[in-house]
Amino acid sequence: MSFLSLVVKNPFRNKTRSALAIVGISIGIIVIVALGMVTGGLENSTQSTLKAGAAEITVIQTGSNSFGSGGSLNESLAASLLSINGVKDTTGILRATNTSTTVTATTTNSSSSGFGAEGGVSITGIEANKLSLIGIDSVNGTAFTNTSTNQVIMGITIAQSLNKTVGDTINLYGKNFTITGTYETGNFITDAGIMMPLSTLQNLTSNQNKISDVLVKVTDNANVTTVSQSIENAYPNQLSTTTAADQANRINQGLSFINTASWAISLLAIFIGAVGVINTMIMSVYERTREIGVLKAVGWRDRRILGMILGESIVLTLLAFVIGTIVAVVGVELILTLSPSVGGIIKPSFAYDIFLRAFVVAFLVGVIGGLYPAYRASRLSPTEALRYE
Amino acid sequence: MNNTGNIIEIKGLKKSYDNGKIKALNGMDLEVKKGEFISIMGPSGSGKSSLLNMIGALDRADEGTITVAGIDLMKTKKLYEFRSKEIGFVFQMHNLIPNLSVLENVQIPMFETKTSSKDMKKRALELLKAVNLEDKINQKPTKLSGGERQRVAIARALVNHPSIILADEPTGSLDSKTGEVILNLLKDLHSKENVTLVMVTHEPYVGKMAERIVTVLDGKCQNIISTL
Ligand SMILES: Nc1ncnc2c1ncn2[C@@H]1O[C@H](COP(=O)(O)OP(=O)(O)OP(=O)(O)O)[C@@H](O)[C@H]1O
Ligand SMILES: [Mg+2]
Repeated sequence: MSFLSLVVKNPFRNKTRSALAIVGISIGIIVIVALGMVTGGLENSTQSTLKAGAAEITVIQTGSNSFGSGGSLNESLAASLLSINGVKDTTGILRATNTSTTVTATTTNSSSSGFGAEGGVSITGIEANKLSLIGIDSVNGTAFTNTSTNQVIMGITIAQSLNKTVGDTINLYGKNFTITGTYETGNFITDAGIMMPLSTLQNLTSNQNKISDVLVKVTDNANVTTVSQSIENAYPNQLSTTTAADQANRINQGLSFINTASWAISLLAIFIGAVGVINTMIMSVYERTREIGVLKAVGWRDRRILGMILGESIVLTLLAFVIGTIVAVVGVELILTLSPSVGGIIKPSFAYDIFLRAFVVAFLVGVIGGLYPAYRASRLSPTEALRYE
Repeated sequence: MNNTGNIIEIKGLKKSYDNGKIKALNGMDLEVKKGEFISIMGPSGSGKSSLLNMIGALDRADEGTITVAGIDLMKTKKLYEFRSKEIGFVFQMHNLIPNLSVLENVQIPMFETKTSSKDMKKRALELLKAVNLEDKINQKPTKLSGGERQRVAIARALVNHPSIILADEPTGSLDSKTGEVILNLLKDLHSKENVTLVMVTHEPYVGKMAERIVTVLDGKCQNIISTL
């Protein structure tokens, strides 16, 4: 028998108590891994928000929500903005949300049926030759033609969650559309949406000649802030602008808040887990007082007893790491597949550092939780321990 | 060991507890020859277990001299090494580890020696054979009778080739018939392995099996009766 096998066997002497300690730490690990996967996924999808070919400025009507639906601007505005100094290219787009349940009704993937309609699908009307302004540089398949009334292209995340590929059809506003292509921009909002010709969406939503936003690309040497200021000055109290950098900043602020919150939750979970481990190990040492006396009597050094108890504590927390990680990964995947409206937006990250972080945390909780009980055990006086009833 | 041939030499040994209120050992003198089998008797609380604990270096005395197997226990810093190499304990309660098999329990003292796990197993098997438990090596101690458990404890005490076995009421929790088997086994192994055997007991018939009886009273050795 090896010393290691003794250390691994001992925590299973009191199965209930060890199981409870493992559950406690596992919850902490689940929180760390699940939050890590989700925030990591969000981070990945915002990193490529600022794309070279895409428009730097989004122009909307003053007072309307930046991602608002429906047309509040006249489509001729796109051409008018071209006259402003520093503007290289513009295009009007119409944003709409299709809340019709037909999105899920046509879904062949049984696991997602019944859930997909919750949030609706975001649909953008845009001219095919201006797709690069919204960040779509290449389409897997072909883009729709501007005059078609039954063609769409689909973002990669929504395509995956609805289990659609190029050539499939999708029912929107009660009409069948052929998916001529799919795209991936790296922006999680864009990738969770559908694009169709501007005129088609205008007709479907009774927004003839109306647009919701104008996307503006500035000339190579122009200053984005100056140009957006010029636009606002040219249309006082009518137009507001947001820059891609603003949006990225806002998202990053949101992410850093989520990150801070997840660290706080993780710390709390770790703290509770560590208290649980200390308690478990103190109880275990207390119960084994006589046995520890015997181990000293047969010549075990203090160091070996310390190592045994500390090792047992680490065995508990590493088991919790394994269980917690499995539950977190399976849980996150399950929630995202069962709910495509969420799954369409978040692609969980499997970056190794999330798991490394959980492992380090589990290990440290084992060491911190085990240190005091192990020290106490190692310092027991052999005669006192042997007299213990 | 010194030229007197004594493996244990104790002079004026004192040990008190609770800030001097309890004098467990109060000027104890004792000499034990190498290979001898002595039994220590005396009323409860007279200091028998305390004496054994001092010989086994489980505790340090306050005053006096104690030399065991040539090592000055008042001075040495290597108490663990001494216990591991020179001493085998057998307690009234077997004190086996319940989740380990009989074979594994016997190997526990060998972790501090540089023995390969193959040799550890070999030595443990050898001793389990000597205490007639070779058919129970994979059992858990909870499945064994009191006498069988005590035999495992004896095998464990002998596994590191100690020079002294310290047995504190080894038959105290056994019926007299089982106790006799255990005693005969101890006596037998003591002569076969040539170990010194120091045994504390309450029962006169057990004490008489020894070559010499030492009576302890109020922390001192009273009289020494040779049974031979
Ligand atoms: N660790 C200790 N702390 C306090 N008092 C102790 C300690 N060890 C022994 N004593 C006291 O020292 C005295 C001698 O104890 P010891 O255990 O040596 O007696 P004993 O002869 O073995 O008795 P018994 O036959 O009941 O086992 C007792 O009064 C006991 O209460
Ligand atoms: Mg006693």
